[in-house]
Amino acid sequence: MQGIVTNIQRFSVHDGPGIRTTVFLKGCNLRCFWCHNPEDMNPAPEIQFFPERCIECEACLDACVQGAHSVDDGHHRFRRELCSGCGECVDTCYAKSLVLVGASKSVEEVVDEILQDQAFYASSGGGVTLSGGEPLLQIDFSAAVLARCQERGIHTAIETAANFPWARVEAILPHVDLVMMDIKHMDSAAHRRSTGVRNERILENAARLGRQPQPLIVRTPVIPGVNDSAAQIGAIAAFVATLPNLLYYELLPYHPMAESKYRSLGQLYRATDLVPPSPAHMASLAEAAGEAGVTMRLA
Amino acid sequence: MTATILTQELTYQERLDALRATKLAQTQEKQRVLGAMDHDDWALVLPLPEVRKVVQAVSGSGVTITDALIDGIDMASNHANGGFYGPRICGENFRRLLDAHPPYVDPLCSLAGAVMANFASYRRQGWNPDLDYSHLHAEQQLYKLTPGIGGSQHFCPDLAIGLELGWRGILDKIEYYRAENPHAEEFYAGLEEVIFGIRDWMHRNAVAAQELATQEESPQLRCNLEEIAEINFRLLDEPPQTLREACQWMTWYLMAARMYNGSGALGRLDVLLEPFYARDVAAGRLSDEEAAFHIACMLLRDTAYAQLGGPDAAGHDVTSRVSYLVLDAIDRLQVPANVGVCVGNDVDPELLQRGVEMQFTHRMGFPKFLGIDSTVQGLIRNGYPAETARSRAYSGCHWSAVPGREYAMRDIVKINFAAIFNVAFADMMADTAVKPSVDALWQRFVHHLQRAVAVTAEGLAFHLEHMHEVFPELPLDLLCYGPIEKGEDASHGGVEIYNLGIDGAALATVADSFAAIEQRVEQERRLSWADLMRHLDGNWGEADGERVRLMLKSVPRYGSGGSRADDWAQRIVRAFTYAIKEQPTSGFDLTPGIFSWASTLAMGRALAATPDGRHAGDPISHGSNPNPGFREDGATTAMALAIAAVQPGLGNSAPMQLELDPGLSRSTEDIAKVGSLIRTHFDLGGTQINLNVLDKQKVLEAHKDPSKYPDLIVRVTGFSAYFASLSPEFRQIVVDRIIAEG
Repeated sequence: MQGIVTNIQRFSVHDGPGIRTTVFLKGCNLRCFWCHNPEDMNPAPEIQFFPERCIECEACLDACVQGAHSVDDGHHRFRRELCSGCGECVDTCYAKSLVLVGASKSVEEVVDEILQDQAFYASSGGGVTLSGGEPLLQIDFSAAVLARCQERGIHTAIETAANFPWARVEAILPHVDLVMMDIKHMDSAAHRRSTGVRNERILENAARLGRQPQPLIVRTPVIPGVNDSAAQIGAIAAFVATLPNLLYYELLPYHPMAESKYRSLGQLYRATDLVPPSPAHMASLAEAAGEAGVTMRLA
Repeated sequence: MTATILTQELTYQERLDALRATKLAQTQEKQRVLGAMDHDDWALVLPLPEVRKVVQAVSGSGVTITDALIDGIDMASNHANGGFYGPRICGENFRRLLDAHPPYVDPLCSLAGAVMANFASYRRQGWNPDLDYSHLHAEQQLYKLTPGIGGSQHFCPDLAIGLELGWRGILDKIEYYRAENPHAEEFYAGLEEVIFGIRDWMHRNAVAAQELATQEESPQLRCNLEEIAEINFRLLDEPPQTLREACQWMTWYLMAARMYNGSGALGRLDVLLEPFYARDVAAGRLSDEEAAFHIACMLLRDTAYAQLGGPDAAGHDVTSRVSYLVLDAIDRLQVPANVGVCVGNDVDPELLQRGVEMQFTHRMGFPKFLGIDSTVQGLIRNGYPAETARSRAYSGCHWSAVPGREYAMRDIVKINFAAIFNVAFADMMADTAVKPSVDALWQRFVHHLQRAVAVTAEGLAFHLEHMHEVFPELPLDLLCYGPIEKGEDASHGGVEIYNLGIDGAALATVADSFAAIEQRVEQERRLSWADLMRHLDGNWGEADGERVRLMLKSVPRYGSGGSRADDWAQRIVRAFTYAIKEQPTSGFDLTPGIFSWASTLAMGRALAATPDGRHAGDPISHGSNPNPGFREDGATTAMALAIAAVQPGLGNSAPMQLELDPGLSRSTEDIAKVGSLIRTHFDLGGTQINLNVLDKQKVLEAHKDPSKYPDLIVRVTGFSAYFASLSPEFRQIVVDRIIAEG
């Protein structure tokens, strides 16, 4: 069985307890306009283009049967609309000006990489986290990877938006030791405006996940103008406080470091005007959340 | 002095803050006068401008440095070339320097003294030319060896001897054994000159403190100066009784040893100070804060290398309250410090936790971490008794030695694998009878590596035969078991153990080169052998050169995990270890390590382009670390696994240089994660970790304009230094590592 993987991040320390390996799976069914992992949005492999790295060797021109690459006025031009994503040009681009994002990997390949750090998981109480993108979009692959890890005694976690029918969420749970999910807004219309989807199903799934044997961590990316008010964070926290198996509620400040990734993918970055929330503001939001009686963490 | 200081008692922390500010000003003056300093900070204070002379010299570690001398000292010579050789004249000339050395007393410091000049810089003629080893030159140059001949210190004295005997006791010991060893009169005369010189220097400092006390308006500082005078008058003869006196005695010894030939080996500081601390506390005359202050004052005066925790000879952990007080001292002092904490199954785990906390609190690269179990087990595997292995003490950049018993020459004998590789490559390509192949290249690499080891061993035998006639280890001899007793210098049979280190360098450069050729030339046939040679000879400047360079550079690299380059790195270390242990020697052992120290720059400068995509003249890879950019995500754990797998495993180290993301919080959970990373690397066989937790942006800004962050401290390799003191090239190495790994 194959999955489309964008990256395997070892020594991951922000995606669950202990030292972890985070596997980023390609494809997401939300379209959050601030997303800092745009390379994980589309399910198919894509080519990132970094013109500043190009050494103008023109090897990609010969490699591309679609004619997507050309040199115009001494500048390398990549016509993405002609690209089939085959990756032939990438193989000739030693300057890494062209990078294929999203490799097809087998369960065994991914698990082999995860196993390399088994000694570190054991000593730190860490394990593996499937993230993305949305790991539940590749449910069979995700379940197979997590099941293999559990067989080897490795702690497993997923990071999900849980925007699926409950049956799909439920199907992954036997292979998961910890669930981390996002709640971005309590108001469905506002949720839809900023993520492209309504939130009823997400909140319903959160309530169900809150009653499962696996501990649950709920996280909110704090996005200026979207949910960065004490009232909104307080409302999310009040909901989160009702989840019986909640480990903690965590606020993650928006950061603007994804812009170059959007550019490399030929996508428009729509969050250019956002200013990251200050530590003081994050602290005040945490206080507002804390008033709801929820165990809090600030990233 | 301000009115505040006159009327109010200063706290210990306020005094340390002021001492730190003074040191920073002194450091900035050194940067102005001496330029870049790609080495230990050394805590040297420049002589006053009117007696200062700036010279080019060779440091105790064998590298060329710009140094400042106290001018106007006439060194005696006993050779037509103007040099001086042998114990008596070395002792006499060292005493001349000590006699001319100005006193240095800071009323805020609890200890007297500071080093203002390196004796080695007066030894302009180096090796005695009558002792000829020109028969080795051809191969030494062919392989670009760092042969260590004439190298000094790099072993560890046992300061417990001095703390027990004091200067008078050591003089009495010399007197006793001189009668038994009439052949060694020159040697004993040299030793005595050193002691007389140190005592006179101490006396002048005591007098200076006394005079300053009469002028001092602050009762608190006047009292301090009077105590300094009293302590130093007493220590001229008597051994120290209190912790403060012990710190003062060790400071004198360290400064003298530092001045003589650059030794900065302190050894097991917590063990040395523990009896004094216990006695003072039992007598009700010492608080922990005061103890930390005296220790800080000592570490301010010398950036000596010290170990905390770890087993005693019987295997029991020696971690004590004093171990934590030493950490408190460097925590409060915040200047470059070279203290290593032991991490091991039987070592107090709090020590590791406290060390990691400090790293995250100050982000100054201290302490460093020592994998004590793997080094002890390695030395046992190397054929040494467990008691000996456990008795070693961390004493230098990446090395340990048994205090007072082991002559080690560690960190000054190096084989640059990349130089060997280039010889092997040229050799194979020139042989028309051989079809080029990776296998043929490897065979030649191993052959030349074995020759390099053999030539190095021959050089070391020559060194051991003659070093005592050239520049004997007089200060270190005083605190070893054997030299005084036998009348023999430590370099010439004086001590019990002769276990000399040979370090391999450029491991990643060569592992990545083999992997690149194997994949691109042999397997994929994207490049011919002849074209590869053409591009190497042309330093990638030929047509298509940059593309070929990037093609070779883009194969999976050493450190990426499970790559061919990882396999090659392990194979290279195995071949190196085998070559060393199979090398016949007489009267000494050889033990391999992997470490390039600051030579990363110099070794690269002298080297042609290599097939890993490195340009001619660029630095070689750092120690046992992968090349920067070895993984897209710079995985720390992948590197920790790779370096654990390339340990020679015979007691000497192959350290991991680790730059961590300051994005990790100082929460208990994140500190535990870093602690687990360190523990696991050591459990897998790792030996040492040099850690920096640095803000990438800050380092980049400091690289652009060092004056912006004059107090930024980094662990450069094994040593710690002000970032602003480093050369732009060396700063670039640190920046590259941080960008790649951070």
